[in-house]
Amino acid sequence: MKSGLSLALALILLLAALACSHRKTYPLQGEVRGKDLTTNEVTVNHDDIPGFMPAMTMPYKVKNTAMLQELQPGDKIAAEVVVSKDGNDCWLEDVRITDESGRGKVMAAERHMLMPGEKVPDVPLVNQDGQTIHLKDFSGKAVLVTFIYTRCPVPTFCPRLSSQFARIHNELKTTPDDYSKTQLLTISFDPKYDTPAVLRKYGLAYLEGDASGFSQWDFASTKEADMRRLAQAFSLDYQEQDNQISHTMNIALIAPDGTLVKSWSAEWTSDELLKALRQAAHRSAKG
Amino acid sequence: MRLGKRQVWLQLLSLGISPVLAMTACSRQQQTGIDPQEVSAGEYAYEVHCAECHEQPHPDLLKQPPNLHGIFSRKTLPSGAPATDKQVRNTIIEGRGTMPAFDKRLSSEEVDELAQYLHTLK
Repeated sequence: MKSGLSLALALILLLAALACSHRKTYPLQGEVRGKDLTTNEVTVNHDDIPGFMPAMTMPYKVKNTAMLQELQPGDKIAAEVVVSKDGNDCWLEDVRITDESGRGKVMAAERHMLMPGEKVPDVPLVNQDGQTIHLKDFSGKAVLVTFIYTRCPVPTFCPRLSSQFARIHNELKTTPDDYSKTQLLTISFDPKYDTPAVLRKYGLAYLEGDASGFSQWDFASTKEADMRRLAQAFSLDYQEQDNQISHTMNIALIAPDGTLVKSWSAEWTSDELLKALRQAAHRSAKG
Repeated sequence: MRLGKRQVWLQLLSLGISPVLAMTACSRQQQTGIDPQEVSAGEYAYEVHCAECHEQPHPDLLKQPPNLHGIFSRKTLPSGAPATDKQVRNTIIEGRGTMPAFDKRLSSEEVDELAQYLHTLK
């Protein structure tokens, strides 16, 4: 009986070892560009990872939250990228800071990536009606902001973002109290093409022709320098080449007092965004 | 083994990660897996620029892009506009509804080749 139990235990340990051995790891070296403690992610500008990924800047989850706390923009790090056995997840383990002499320099050079609770920069924007608007104009409202360009042809990027914002807008309309306390803001990072007229046409398509919706959902752009400032604040990456723009997906929730509540990049649903937006507006109502 | 751009793209998507989009013509070509030497210019343009939306449903989109097979065999386009080359060219260049404009992204010649291919798409 005892030997049977030992055999079973040995079998379990063997299976566990086999399961662990099926996950793949790749060595990573790079520089920290930012982090998000709400999602436990660190954004790393990393070197080529042979067999896994070319050099690029992208967010990774860090399971060791104590280590994540230590990381600062500018830190050079080494880590292991772990890809789960089913290939559906990846994260960093064994994160080591190899050089912290650049700490603070990246922030100084590139300005600051906003953390929750920090004030959002109040840059002037021009909306679909050609009116200059500021984020402070929405003071007292919870604002959900995202970034697009109207000619984006990739259905899982800008068209998905705008479609899901349309869904959120339609849901908010069903509860007038929430509708009046919330604002959607879609900002184009292609101001050369996305003029107010183009943004109006684009917005009307997602408002299904109802221009009254612009009161709660603005489509705007801004000067290149201010756009760069917003991009740095919200960790947006975009680059134009041959009339096409490579970009990341970023969504941010701004509290009624103009501070960042939360930001999303990789994983989000419209239900999650709507819930967070309503909660932020509700907190505003409580004062 | 080093992964190609298409493999990287698919790998990132499978991981639920949204990296910086690689949307150069070169990488789109690799994503479709179609050799431009083996198909007509119009078919290649269709596969690179149109098929991703018009050939498969995307449940997250507000409006489902219509299927374009046989659009010239009817009198009107899915939008209700007349099914003419001029109208199709305008739609490609200027966009329509939630369809993005391909203005400055496709040359006039490419738009012509694309429209020509759509005539053959049954």
